[in-house]
Amino acid sequence: MLYCEKCGVYLSGSMNRCPLCQEKVAGQPEEDAYLPLPGTARPYGLTVRLAALLTVAALTVCAAVNYCFPEGGWWFLFVAAGLASVWLLTGIAFWKRRNPMKAIAWLLAAVPALVLAWDWRTGFIGWSINFVLPCFIPCMQLAAAGAARVLRLRPADYLFCLGICILAGFLPLIPLFCGALWMIYPSVVCAGISAISLSALLLFRGSALKAEIIRRGHL
Amino acid sequence: MNNRNIPPWWTLDNAAKIFPSTGSAHDSKVFRFACELREPVDPQLLQSALDKTVDRFPMYRSVMKRGWFWYYLEDSPLPAQVHREELPPCYPIYPSVRRSLLFRVLYYRRRISLEVYHALTDGTGALNFLCALVYEYLLLRCPDAFSQPVPPLPYDASQSQRQADSFQKYYEKPAGRPMGRFPVAYQIRRERLPRNHLAILEGQMPLEQVLACARARGVTLTELMTAVFLRAIHGGMRVRDRKKPVVITIPVNLRSYFPSESARNFFATINVGYDFSTGEDSLEAVLKEVKRSFQDNLTAEKMRERMNALCALEHSVPLRLVPLPLKDIVLRIANKVAARGVTASFSNIGKVSMPKGMEELIHLFSVFACAGMLQACACSFGGVYVVSFASPFRVCETERIFFRELARLGIRVALTTNLPPEMEVH
Repeated sequence: MLYCEKCGVYLSGSMNRCPLCQEKVAGQPEEDAYLPLPGTARPYGLTVRLAALLTVAALTVCAAVNYCFPEGGWWFLFVAAGLASVWLLTGIAFWKRRNPMKAIAWLLAAVPALVLAWDWRTGFIGWSINFVLPCFIPCMQLAAAGAARVLRLRPADYLFCLGICILAGFLPLIPLFCGALWMIYPSVVCAGISAISLSALLLFRGSALKAEIIRRGHL
Repeated sequence: MNNRNIPPWWTLDNAAKIFPSTGSAHDSKVFRFACELREPVDPQLLQSALDKTVDRFPMYRSVMKRGWFWYYLEDSPLPAQVHREELPPCYPIYPSVRRSLLFRVLYYRRRISLEVYHALTDGTGALNFLCALVYEYLLLRCPDAFSQPVPPLPYDASQSQRQADSFQKYYEKPAGRPMGRFPVAYQIRRERLPRNHLAILEGQMPLEQVLACARARGVTLTELMTAVFLRAIHGGMRVRDRKKPVVITIPVNLRSYFPSESARNFFATINVGYDFSTGEDSLEAVLKEVKRSFQDNLTAEKMRERMNALCALEHSVPLRLVPLPLKDIVLRIANKVAARGVTASFSNIGKVSMPKGMEELIHLFSVFACAGMLQACACSFGGVYVVSFASPFRVCETERIFFRELARLGIRVALTTNLPPEMEVH
């Protein structure tokens, strides 16, 4: 066993210096009881930093070109918004990469918000509510059901997410009933698929869904 | 409907409710119990022992889930597996990228370590689990070493007793103001270790020497260690900080006051402080104040008041109706405000017991926790008393003064650490 004369304590392990006073210690080293603290780099750190640098570089070049040739308006703001959208969606997918159901739920919230924002800022032609959302939501429903099947999840692990995806399928009915759509078929199909999916969910997983709601809503 | 479709679930107990909201990378709310055997650990046998042990503690097969108003525990089919120690101590368990059980069992050379997320259980509950695990492991490792019939485990509570929420059982609506206010305490501010690592400094001492030292001063072991800890913190303070009191928070096992065999959280905390700007800084003076504080606080009536005050918040209907994301923010702020009244933490687990015949195969038990601040934990087994410091700071100033003081009191201290041999932590 090692001994530190300055501190008057014995030391068990293979240290060269006393952990209390950093003085050299005398005696016979022993086996370490603890795994020494690791010094490894964070995974993904370099990739994320490189991607961030590329983003800043692309944005800077666009801003500089746009400043030199301003005839087409401030189009570099669209480049910035586009890059921000890519970062947001990639971030969600990466953040929830181990839990596909949560990733689907988050994407279901983020993508419609982004699409609506882009449509609004580009003159609100209505492509978002007429086509993109009524097509995107059933895709997410399919993705949720597929992930649950492929990953063999228990109902408790997918019902909530699947339920949200299905209920979201009724949202296109709002612009439909408000008369804001010039192409009604995708929204009608989306709501129809959601109605059938909801019926199937209640008929085949009704008890499990009720139990899930009780669990999540307990006070 | 089978179990796969509707899994069992449990609400969090009162103490556990705050942990998921207030945890962070530097305050993982994870604590570790370790058992050092006389021989290297056999991973296969440890896995078999773990499988048997988890069957006795079904709540350990649960994962944390977010509800709309509260977090809760849900039964999970995830397997409990032993792993060779590779992660830093008390590495976060929840939240994590991959959904996992709320504990991990690790082995490293002769040590079996159990790391537990505090929302699952407290020190007493985790210690019962580790003792059961070591018991099963030793039965498998040395099947011929024990007399027949095999000695039973001291902890033999039924499943319903283990799963009981004792806070709910003993809660009574308090009549007066629920919570008291604490003065702002001195905060240790030093350079932190990188990547939220914890420096562990574990001091092993002969129990008899420590007990003799405490008895000679007419105090208990916890009181002696608390006083030495207070003085050690004071020794590392800058002069301009010395006007603030040094306050140590000490968890108290409520099972000592209310009959309970629960394997879940059932503890409260008391704060023991000393104002060095107005009082003497001699060990005797600090001991006197610490002893008085313990005597004042550690009464059944005070513990009941404290527990009821903590539970009252949970039972408030308006608070219960607040959605979880908002609760997270409120609890995080409340936790930060409460942390301003505390300098460090000291937890004395007490004596660890194993069945007769197994004690010779075990060298020691130790415990430490990650609480985002300097934390000391102590426990004793056989003739060895172990005090472990878990520190997020790069400099071990408080620990140096603490262990030197114990050595000065005539106690033989043997230190071990996870700091690299060259003390180069980058």
